[in-house]
Amino acid sequence: MTVFKTFLKVLNKCKAPLILYTVILIFFGGFSLKTNEVNTSFNAYLPDVYINNLDENAKITENFMTYLKKVSNVVLLDEEDISDALFYRDINIAITIPEGFNRDFFLGRKPKLEIQCTGDYASSLVNIYIEKYMQVANTYRVLASSEEELLRLINGNLDLKTNVYLKTSLDTEAMSKATTYFNFTNYCILAGCIFGVCFSLFSFKQKNIDDRIRISKINYKKYLMQLFLSTFVFAFFLWLLYVLLGFVLVGKIMFTYHGLIYIVNLFLFTLCALSIAFFLNQVILNKDTINGIVNVIALGSSFLCGAFVPVQFLPDFVLKIARILPSYWFIHVNELTTSLEKINLITLKPIWQSMLVLSLFTCFFFLMSLYVKKRN
Amino acid sequence: MKKVIEVEHLTKKYKDFIAVSDLSFDVEEGEVLGLLGPNGSGKSTTINCLLSLLNYEDGIIKILGQVMSSTNYDVKKDIGVIFQDIAVFEELTVYENIDYFCGLYIEDKQLRKEYVIEAIKLVGLEDFQKFYPKQLSGGLLRRLNIACGIAHKPKIIFLDEPTVAVDPQSRENILAGILNLRKKGATILYTTHYMEEVEMICDRVIILDKGKIIASGSPLELKNLAKIEEKVTIEDISLKKTDLEKIKSLKNVEEVSYNKTTLIITYKKGQHNLPLLVEFLKKENLEYQRIFSERPTLNDVFLELTGKELRD
Repeated sequence: MTVFKTFLKVLNKCKAPLILYTVILIFFGGFSLKTNEVNTSFNAYLPDVYINNLDENAKITENFMTYLKKVSNVVLLDEEDISDALFYRDINIAITIPEGFNRDFFLGRKPKLEIQCTGDYASSLVNIYIEKYMQVANTYRVLASSEEELLRLINGNLDLKTNVYLKTSLDTEAMSKATTYFNFTNYCILAGCIFGVCFSLFSFKQKNIDDRIRISKINYKKYLMQLFLSTFVFAFFLWLLYVLLGFVLVGKIMFTYHGLIYIVNLFLFTLCALSIAFFLNQVILNKDTINGIVNVIALGSSFLCGAFVPVQFLPDFVLKIARILPSYWFIHVNELTTSLEKINLITLKPIWQSMLVLSLFTCFFFLMSLYVKKRN
Repeated sequence: MKKVIEVEHLTKKYKDFIAVSDLSFDVEEGEVLGLLGPNGSGKSTTINCLLSLLNYEDGIIKILGQVMSSTNYDVKKDIGVIFQDIAVFEELTVYENIDYFCGLYIEDKQLRKEYVIEAIKLVGLEDFQKFYPKQLSGGLLRRLNIACGIAHKPKIIFLDEPTVAVDPQSRENILAGILNLRKKGATILYTTHYMEEVEMICDRVIILDKGKIIASGSPLELKNLAKIEEKVTIEDISLKKTDLEKIKSLKNVEEVSYNKTTLIITYKKGQHNLPLLVEFLKKENLEYQRIFSERPTLNDVFLELTGKELRD
């Protein structure tokens, strides 16, 4: 217990950075969760359209105009103001129905509308509506026996609505929040483990102190085991802290199987961060360099592997490089969990495979630290 | 007397370099043995071998009658070490540091507390218990280093140059502390290259050079090994060649060296050398500022034996 208590006392001296990492997580993680909320409300957008009808008041022309009024916002303008209105985006599109449009339509000549548009999304949308109307009208023109029947068929078709049912058990909003939070923990766990463990163990590994312990009556192997357990307890509490924070920030998703995957994944990553800290402790020669190394490793891997920036926004070559880092596999599991619809052996396969890679990284760094220690 | 440390034919090599060669000595219970030698003479290597911190090529080391090894915890519990370099935690206070190192030996909390307070008193750090090592001066830090090594009341204490780079006042305190430990019955193995310290605290001295024992005995015995008996120095004196010749012909004079204004005369064995010299100077009307006599030191012995100074 003497070793464990002293480890905690030394660790206590670096509590400020550890608290800072947690505050960063709560602040930026919380902020990110807030801004990452999925917007489920929908407002129909009506493009602004100017229509100049030069044709006689025929029924098909009127019907076409009525349709356009349904799907867009018809704006009244003087003809000479059209160019200005388009330039200033007062309207998205100006449509001129040419003279003889109705006649040419029934003769099957495929009359063309004169269109001036801004080229933006709204004008493209109106173009789609026009294209849709003309296709439907041309299709029924051949089939309909009268003009009235044609209009009825066209309107009937255009009024058809398709009901879409999205069958999913996933609470995508909560899952997205959880993934964002756990991706953020990548930085905090890495920085916390490396800083805490390296800072504390550095004091113990100083040659003179180590010699004093070697000549004491305490069994050296047992002493090393006590030190190892101390670091493990520290890492365990760090993991527990971030899991509990997860319950607070993310909520009920943490009580599902998906939440369990996040928790297990974080635990494996914590062990990996601990093994990295062990390895770094063997190679760090100056205590003052610990802070810099923490920033390079924790921040670097967090940016490279998509802890701060969504993975989808990262270029492919960056993600290819990131594969050599444990953080990539940790974040990869989080991302896979977000879209995990059903949980069974097949769907879990890519997840446990990534977890296995993460565990191999842990073994690698642990063995490397043993090798370097023996060599030293 | 019971032998608590027995070393027989100890040899330690670093590749082709022989750091310690066929070293044999023993230390009796309650004795203070000084290992004296210049830097690189093998003092620290010998101590590290004794403590099983270093493997050695040949020899047998027994402590408290048992062969010493890194796993002989029965022996280790009775050993205290004060290293040449400071070995304390920067993050712990004076009290916490001593408590930690004492805790490696003493599990009982109450007993440990008593021991820690006693150690603090012994080295005079009562007013600095809550100070961190960074807040202490070099001398106080050395005292803390000593307290960490002796708090568990070991029977055998190894002190490896504990007064290096320490101001005279702190040095006095440290030496007084060591004498105090001696009074309490501890057996001490003390390495240093300060002959004054050895003369002050050691019962017996081993002089090492290039990993070998070149002389051993009590400080007095060692000093008797010196050819010279007395050294007289006269400052601010003006001499002619004829005066120097006359001085050289005085009784018991071994060697005379004159450097502008300072005259050093070394005498072989003999008595009343200084009064006779003073009388001679008066008779010859030779004026001077200051005259003083010195007995040979261990440094002189070392100089005679090896041809170099201890602090080279």
